[in-house]
Amino acid sequence: MLRRIRAVALNTYRETVRDRIFYLVGLFGLVLVVSSAVLAPLSVGAQEKIVIDVGLGALTLFGLLVTVLVGSNMVHKEQDKRTVTTILAKPISRREYLLGKFLGLSLTLVAMLAVMSALFVAVILATPASFGIRYLAAFYLAYIELLLVTAAVVLFSTVTSPPLAAVLTLTLFVIGHLSESLRSFGALLGSPLQARLAELVYYLVPNLEMFNVRGAVVHGDTVSGEHLLLATAYGLGYTALLLIVAGAQFSRKELR
Amino acid sequence: MDGSGLVTNPPPQTVERPVSIHGEAEIALKVLGLEKVFRSGLRRRKTAAIRGISFLVRRGTVLALLGHNGAGKTTTLNCILGLVKPDAGQVSIFGYDHRQRSSRAKVGYLPERPNFYEYLTGRELLTFYADLLGISPRERSRQVDSVLTTVGITARADLRLRKYSKGMLQRLGLAQALLGAPELLILDEPMSGLDPLGRREVRDLLAGLRDSGTTVVLSSHIVPDVEILADEVVILREGLLVATHRLDALPRDCVYEVRLGELPTGDDAADVLRACRVVRGRGGGGPALVESCTPVDLARLLDVCSRTQIDIHSVQTRRHGLEDLFLEVMGEQKVPLC
Repeated sequence: MLRRIRAVALNTYRETVRDRIFYLVGLFGLVLVVSSAVLAPLSVGAQEKIVIDVGLGALTLFGLLVTVLVGSNMVHKEQDKRTVTTILAKPISRREYLLGKFLGLSLTLVAMLAVMSALFVAVILATPASFGIRYLAAFYLAYIELLLVTAAVVLFSTVTSPPLAAVLTLTLFVIGHLSESLRSFGALLGSPLQARLAELVYYLVPNLEMFNVRGAVVHGDTVSGEHLLLATAYGLGYTALLLIVAGAQFSRKELR
Repeated sequence: MDGSGLVTNPPPQTVERPVSIHGEAEIALKVLGLEKVFRSGLRRRKTAAIRGISFLVRRGTVLALLGHNGAGKTTTLNCILGLVKPDAGQVSIFGYDHRQRSSRAKVGYLPERPNFYEYLTGRELLTFYADLLGISPRERSRQVDSVLTTVGITARADLRLRKYSKGMLQRLGLAQALLGAPELLILDEPMSGLDPLGRREVRDLLAGLRDSGTTVVLSSHIVPDVEILADEVVILREGLLVATHRLDALPRDCVYEVRLGELPTGDDAADVLRACRVVRGRGGGGPALVESCTPVDLARLLDVCSRTQIDIHSVQTRRHGLEDLFLEVMGEQKVPLC
């Protein structure tokens, strides 16, 4: 089983590499350098914070971009071009195939985040700021967050069209970061219905703020091991749940 | 299949039994009462793609699904492979339920108009499929080289697939189907997209596989290809199985087509022509095409023409074959039986 999943994963990774998705990494580097060059002189005394904040934000944003661009079309494209039929006619289950696709995209994200993190560190070292171990926690949590978002886009892509899957994923990303605020806001509105609705959204949508430690890192705070563990368990648990639903959904699909 | 003749217009309900019974161990593929209805549009409009199809395929034989476009050939194959979920019916491959992953371990599949990852080379693609089959790395390399040679694209094996022609993709599709030495090959229109030489090569290849004991199920609407390759034929029309036939049981009588300057006249000529089928020129005057049925009729016709000095432009021999059977089953042409 592992061999089949690995074959699909490596092939998906190869596809993203050959589709020149890594050009986005170059764009990331450019954003990083330009922003630090332009913004830093405007904020006297806060140059380090600006560079770190923009860098970590851009890292998540570019990761999200790749996830949505590649993930929303990943399964649909194979159905549309019918490349999936010869694969699923081999002794591989649909769940194995889908897991392979997910892992392949995850591998792409690992490679991208590794390169972007290295660029980020290089830019930091070029400024008066110093590199701290806390940045690694931020990179790591950004990756866990993107894994969860990848699982979501894989699920959406099995039930709907690529554009809608992309919109749904982006909506999930935004609401996921605002869910706690939404819950608090709902409680303040005074209407029990609105409060319950906000509560429902809070519990249904993954709380992506759990992976956002940018503020802490920018201000020099360390991220506790406990938080890292909790966030990892939460992220991977949610990812597994989404993949199980996606697998069940994909298993029911007619591949004409 | 009973191998003896036509089964015309069976009822659309589920067929409970296969059309013939063989020993279970001999059976490569068993399809019983397969039904599929597709639903489309907002109103979920129903279209019955196949209706109660049953057949058996014996090991080492070639069975062809024959029918016009939309007859249900591809849906039947997709149901067998589990790509489409049948609404009713059973399929077993070498005794395994087709829904089990392991049932596909001995199956090679070539879809109609195959499409592959354009960013890969032919060799990379075959290596990927070999990995899906769980072939060990050493064996993988040997098998990839072997199937590349078999389908004749070794020289192009390291080119990206976006540079492949339609015919080359068809050959590559066949190559991936041959990986892992499958015992059952399911081929959807295997000759489409190939030039005449390519078609002949694929035909020879499939004949060789059949001779080496591989079971082949293929769909086609090209009757001559089927006639050369298949041992048994299943004819589908509008989702129904309308006929099954063993090709060795087909009548092999000859008919003769005679092109004349004009039809002979006279009483003795009228007697002769009554036994023949006049295709063109019955109204008299102008060239005529006469399809005679038996050698005796032909001899008499030629004799009459000779005596009445009618020009004989040509005499051609044509065998009764699968095409006649197919057209007859489809209700498109009645061929006079000799």
